[in-house]
Amino acid sequence: MVFHKRRWLVRRLFFNHEQIRTMSRVKRRTTHPPYWHVLKNNQRDDEKISSDNLCFVREVIQDKYKNKSPIKGSDLDIEKTVWDPKTKRSGVIARNIGVQHMWEKDGKKVICTVLHVLDNHVVRYVPPEEYAKSVIGTKMFKNRKPLGCLVVGAEAANPDRFTRQYCSLFDEVGLLPKKRLARFIVTPNAALPPCTPLTAGHFVIGQAVDVYGKTIDYGFQGVVKRWGFKGGPASHGATKFHRRGGTIGTGRDKARVWPGQKMPGHMGSERRFNRGLKIVRINMKYNIIYVKGTVPGPTNSIVQIFDTILPRRRFTEAPPHPTYFPPEDGTLPQEDIWDSSLHVFGSPSISV
Amino acid sequence: MLRRAVLQTFRQGLAQSFFKRYAVSLTETTVTHQPIETSNEAGERSVPTQKTGDESRNTVVVAPPEFRFMYPEFLPDPAMETRNRLREKLERMDMLQRRSVIEIPEFYTGSIMAVTVADANSPNKFARFVGICIQRGGSGLRAWFILRNVVDKQGVEILYEMYCPLIQKIEVLRLERRLDESLLYLRDALPEYSTFPLDMEPERRLNNSVVPINPLKVKLRPRPWLERWERQNLQGVEDLNLPQRFYDKAEKVAKPWEKYDLMLHYRKTIPAEEQEKIFAEIHSQLQQQELKRKLRRRRGPDNEQ
Repeated sequence: MVFHKRRWLVRRLFFNHEQIRTMSRVKRRTTHPPYWHVLKNNQRDDEKISSDNLCFVREVIQDKYKNKSPIKGSDLDIEKTVWDPKTKRSGVIARNIGVQHMWEKDGKKVICTVLHVLDNHVVRYVPPEEYAKSVIGTKMFKNRKPLGCLVVGAEAANPDRFTRQYCSLFDEVGLLPKKRLARFIVTPNAALPPCTPLTAGHFVIGQAVDVYGKTIDYGFQGVVKRWGFKGGPASHGATKFHRRGGTIGTGRDKARVWPGQKMPGHMGSERRFNRGLKIVRINMKYNIIYVKGTVPGPTNSIVQIFDTILPRRRFTEAPPHPTYFPPEDGTLPQEDIWDSSLHVFGSPSISV
Repeated sequence: MLRRAVLQTFRQGLAQSFFKRYAVSLTETTVTHQPIETSNEAGERSVPTQKTGDESRNTVVVAPPEFRFMYPEFLPDPAMETRNRLREKLERMDMLQRRSVIEIPEFYTGSIMAVTVADANSPNKFARFVGICIQRGGSGLRAWFILRNVVDKQGVEILYEMYCPLIQKIEVLRLERRLDESLLYLRDALPEYSTFPLDMEPERRLNNSVVPINPLKVKLRPRPWLERWERQNLQGVEDLNLPQRFYDKAEKVAKPWEKYDLMLHYRKTIPAEEQEKIFAEIHSQLQQQELKRKLRRRRGPDNEQ
């Protein structure tokens, strides 16, 4: 016991190998899809179809998906559930379309990320009992109360480019196959029936959101960029030592390179959350959300937006629960909604 | 939403909405011919529109080609990784909203301008600065320009963001161009080339259709300089009178093949077809704003504020 304590103190003073070791054991990325993934894209690209048959195929697709009217809130059978502070609502799939600078009312400039909420539709709801039996469900809800899972799809596309197994995921509900799918963990009172559209109105101005995305892929990077090493001197006689790592271990303690030693390697393309970003502007016409701050991932990448889990920025009053529906009497919502802290561009210049 | 998204991409929908708008704004093109005959104090220039397009379809409004020099910040950053048509369109809408509140006049590098900014630390809460525009850049709402002046023998440069809401007024006191796109060499020039009186009055333009080019050749101070001006092919400076080794090294380092590199220039600019589309989109709104401003000016300054 005494021996371990002294070693722990020595390590504390010089180099904390423990921390590096735990981080290195975490598998950060895979390039292969999971085993349950249905083959998505149509492999038969070079099939030679005559132009008549091609027209016929297009007609069949149009007939299959044509005769559906736009979905209103009243058409879907949603149970009237009550919102409580412990409710987890659905999230939304969006595309990060770039960054725009806006100004607050005191003249301070803020960087806002523009997120375009794609055409989201609920594909399926898996109730808690069933989801807890699945592979991921057992891991997630090991010592917790199970929650339901909402499968949401975004970006409808021509069924031609997908396989039959993939299209069958959407056939039961009668949706066009979607390019993107995501799972959102929801409480049973926030469950939504299939074919429910999710729009930018799902969120409230001024609320905090968590945005999940895959970070920018930097490829194989050296130690200076990847881990922030200082490298070596640029001049003063340094021979071939400008951006290298230097020493990778001592000779005495353990006498080998420790697992997790920081070295060059693949950087980026990792799943990350940016939490607590405030929504400062919503454009209902184009389904656009402006969040204050930046989100993981490059421009034009897909992200998922959820209500925040940060305890002090959670909802205190009920948001559109379980989601937003345009009003039944046909009145259009306000097209461009701004947060009270932002300066609206059409309003007079700021004078301090 | 689902029906319209069936076999139509979002981009197609955008294009359709563009053409719908031009079918409506066709009547506006006939109206705009009138202001040309009247007096132009504001600097209404040249032929505003040309009608192109086939007879069978709706004719498409095309903005004048000078727009890419008058309003260069409406063109997006050419880097393909960060381009997105929807976001650029929304940004242009916001820029037009801001332009409806404040007049951002046409100016070029070498024009002398005065900018009034809201400043909490100033005695009367507004700070006015007069200077020559030495550089302009940025695209969209990030567009900026730098004004330079020499105040009390101290050179002062201020970077202004064109769409910042703290800016109350931008005036162009003298509208002209210089021989170079960037006048950063004024930092190494004799101070009289950067000195302009702070109470300078706006000058009347002699010829409203052409922006004059000032062929002034500036004298630089003796070396050391901030940059190697002999390597930059400047037109607006007098002969630098350097020893020959400077010019030899400049030749060694020069890249004369760059002017033949078509792909390099293609990547640095927005294609002409897209430029036409962008300016056609904003053209009618900008013209309406000009008209409103002219009417307000004609009614008189006592009607304003």
